[in-house]
Amino acid sequence: MDLKKTASVEILSSNSLFLDATHLTEDTLTTQKKIWALVTKCKASNAFIDIVPAMNSLCMYLHNSNELEHWQNELTNWWQDVDELKHQGTHHNIITHYGGNYGPDLDFVAKSHDLTTDEVIQLHSNTQYQVLFLGFQPGFVYLHGLTEQLHTPRRNTPRTKVPKGSVAIGAEQTGIYPADSPGGWHIIGHTDFNLFNHLSEPPSVIQPGDTLTFVSAEALS
Amino acid sequence: MITVLKPGPLMSIQDIGRTGFRHLGVAQSGAIDSNAMIIANRLLNNADNDAVIEITLGLAQLKFECDTVIALIGTDMKAHLDETAIYPGWTYTVKKGQTIRFAAARNGFRAYLACKGGIQCEKVMNSRSTDLAAGFGGSTGYALKEHDTLAIEPFTEHWPKLGAFLPAKREVIRIHPSIHQDLLTQSVIKQFCAQTWHVTTQSNRMGVRLSNQSQPLSHSHSLPSLAVSPGSIQLPPSGEPIVLLNDGQTTGGYPLLGTVIAADLPQFAQLKPGDSIRFEYVDSATANNAQAKLDAHFAQLAIALKDAAC
Repeated sequence: MDLKKTASVEILSSNSLFLDATHLTEDTLTTQKKIWALVTKCKASNAFIDIVPAMNSLCMYLHNSNELEHWQNELTNWWQDVDELKHQGTHHNIITHYGGNYGPDLDFVAKSHDLTTDEVIQLHSNTQYQVLFLGFQPGFVYLHGLTEQLHTPRRNTPRTKVPKGSVAIGAEQTGIYPADSPGGWHIIGHTDFNLFNHLSEPPSVIQPGDTLTFVSAEALS
Repeated sequence: MITVLKPGPLMSIQDIGRTGFRHLGVAQSGAIDSNAMIIANRLLNNADNDAVIEITLGLAQLKFECDTVIALIGTDMKAHLDETAIYPGWTYTVKKGQTIRFAAARNGFRAYLACKGGIQCEKVMNSRSTDLAAGFGGSTGYALKEHDTLAIEPFTEHWPKLGAFLPAKREVIRIHPSIHQDLLTQSVIKQFCAQTWHVTTQSNRMGVRLSNQSQPLSHSHSLPSLAVSPGSIQLPPSGEPIVLLNDGQTTGGYPLLGTVIAADLPQFAQLKPGDSIRFEYVDSATANNAQAKLDAHFAQLAIALKDAAC
């Protein structure tokens, strides 16, 4: 078996397994699409308490620890057959107010790349982002697809409070703050899109494997 | 109803925790010492997962606005019901108007107070546990504050005096092997177990941070984010390990030194800053035996309580 092409499934604990595909040579998005397809298959089995994708990896927490070895083998086999095209996520449009009071760091981001603020908005909003996985806090989405032109090192001093709904850039990532929290990313805009509501079912509308686009509110009007 | 007169450093409503939502970034929450919580509930013939009050350090005071029966488990906080000393491991009948007062814990860190019928509050995502960071669950979404009120069903019938032990405290915490031993090297793995670690003041319900003056296991590895859970032992570049607990985040980018076996994880409830701790790697058979021993402890308790009820 070519180890470069297959994922390894390792035992984390008596009831959890770790599928590691971080070493594969194919591009990260192709690998991640296989992860999502595997998530769908795992969900259907009803064998797991939690199925948590992260960056080119997947953790599975079993109901029954007696089945640990069975699932270790099964998941290794499943990985061989899984088809990255089999996952269909939902697309979300995130209406975003860029700049001004909504995006106090938009000017900074523009200046640091020798762009106009309009160009930053264009570059940021004319992209379909893939939701790789969620983590950090409830509803926080890790997105793939920020153009390299907008990669901006994090602020030297993190803000003690970044408002809920802030659309921001941090290094090679962009994202939305689902709740007020401290943060070191550059705030370029704001959305009223509610990423997480503990009273809703499901509490987060956006799921791993979905896609989203930031739509400029000013361009809409 | 219960009124909070003094919450102490941290008091919150917890049950066994929230599952099925980790892929949305939702932490487990729940009682750090799930054994204590379950035993407290069983002494009252509550459901295992009924919500209880987790008390940290003590220095707290509650007033009962109705008759009930309570079970107190965990570390000794020199508790008094009005002027009478009460002890962890036992049930007590409480009359309307009585107050329970906790001094400070000396040997441990957390105690659990269960009331007959459980603390009543709405379930959020299938759990009554308070998610302190995200601000939902429990009765208010936050740590309990002075003047907060907690709903309980009045209970006026006779209830037998019942007591139970917690599983024994362990000096050495057993852990599953690291999935990153090649990356971290065998020497780091060996040093981790060879040394005694101290709990730092930056520890909380999210995780217990450990330090060791002599030889920190510092490194410069950074990993693509991977899912982590209560029991995961992260090693940040500083070389000071973090044992994630119930409020820990769902993903992280630090290499893992291993995972605390499920049977030993509740032990972290009683670790306070300054305490020392050691680790040993065990195989899965040892972890399974430890779990079987714990299950047997609970099975014995169930039999004893059935006899007591006859």
